[in-house]
Amino acid sequence: MAAEYLKFVDVTKCDGCRACMVACKNWNDLPPEYEEFQGSIQSHEQLTAHTWNVLTFNEQETTNGGFEWLFRHQSCLHCVQAGCEKACPEDAISHTKFGSVVVDADKCVGCGYCVQGCQFNVISLATYKDKRGKEYRKAQKCTLCTDRLEQGLQPACVTACHTDCLIYDEREAVLSEANSRLLQVKDRFPNANIYNPQGIKGTTTVYLLADKPSVYGLPENPKVALSQVVWKDYAQPIGKAMLGVTTMAVIGAVISNSIAKVKNGDKGVDHHE
Amino acid sequence: MEMNVTRRQFLKLSGAVAATLAVVELGFNENEAKAKANSFKIAGLKPTPTICPYCAVGCGILVYSKDNTVVYTEGDPDHPINEGALCSKGTTVRQVYTSDRRQEKPMYRAAGSSKWEEVEWDWALDKVAQKMKETRDRTFQTMENGVTVNKTEAIACMGGAALDNEETYLLSKLMRAGMGLTYIEHQARI
Repeated sequence: MAAEYLKFVDVTKCDGCRACMVACKNWNDLPPEYEEFQGSIQSHEQLTAHTWNVLTFNEQETTNGGFEWLFRHQSCLHCVQAGCEKACPEDAISHTKFGSVVVDADKCVGCGYCVQGCQFNVISLATYKDKRGKEYRKAQKCTLCTDRLEQGLQPACVTACHTDCLIYDEREAVLSEANSRLLQVKDRFPNANIYNPQGIKGTTTVYLLADKPSVYGLPENPKVALSQVVWKDYAQPIGKAMLGVTTMAVIGAVISNSIAKVKNGDKGVDHHE
Repeated sequence: MEMNVTRRQFLKLSGAVAATLAVVELGFNENEAKAKANSFKIAGLKPTPTICPYCAVGCGILVYSKDNTVVYTEGDPDHPINEGALCSKGTTVRQVYTSDRRQEKPMYRAAGSSKWEEVEWDWALDKVAQKMKETRDRTFQTMENGVTVNKTEAIACMGGAALDNEETYLLSKLMRAGMGLTYIEHQARI
């Protein structure tokens, strides 16, 4: 299901202020995660269960020997065909009407299959403790602020952005804006492209990248493994249907046997055993 | 251990198991369980508009508070300066109030002491006033190179971005005309 609204990330407009990161923590009440200096100005190495949004700083040498940062607002892309959703054995991950992919914490058992299923290293497991001190895990990631969308508000990261690098708008408006911005930046970034991978039927977060996806650590052409699609979309539903059919058959057999028993009197009872 | 299960019993048993499983698997209301988001945390809260205390831009911020604590802050979309956007520092403004490292009482370190001690506001303000008067009187110059100056160069005043226009005016009036300061600056200019 393609969403009516899309989030658009124009990395060429990003100035690396990281307000989106803080806005995300602020809205979702996520705890801080302290990290050692990694030798780069990037604050966190990667997305975690408590950091749903990291601004990556890609250090690049320009053709004339200069230095340039490529920024990218990194968070869940909310794939239309989501690897995490396909991998989830508990149906805990689903799409909302906004196209966002969300985890139902009540259903999640913390198995971590979704972590393997995501090609963007977005989803990960958070460890919690219950009242008796027993540890349990739940998958956590960006929700596209679905709770805000339901109230007619924009995602927290989008409201914070002061350069219009992040936009949340109607699908057509976003795609035409993306195309016109692509034309504007082509001179400066010849490799610029719009990242909306069709191998996973598009994403609800569309990027305008200044360079090839691989430069940003994104897969060039992501796909959900066929085996997972078969498992989730065919094997599981058919299995459930078979279970129903079997149940009905067994119940039917019991009933017809009982009828046969009544018909045949006591004679029919013993020859089955 | 040998189990004496007849074929009929086995069929009944497996039928019951399958029926239970079928109810568990198919009986949930999917719509209800689907995509359950968190409850909306600022529901029913009335935002209080304020101005960001950090740099000189003066962005508008909406503060959502509940039970005497701040639950959320965001850029004020109706504010003409920032139109809802905020920088990373302005976005953290909630911590000014909620941080456990927040200093809620004035601290005093006596000259030559290595320890900070908690003091009362009245005591601290009196102390500041007393020291300012003493320093000003000690260093006040009325004439310099034959020109009337009426100034002191021993005290400097620093304004902060949390001050609004009127407060800044009053502060500089007090410092320049009242105290005779020449070193008057604002945090946003340094």
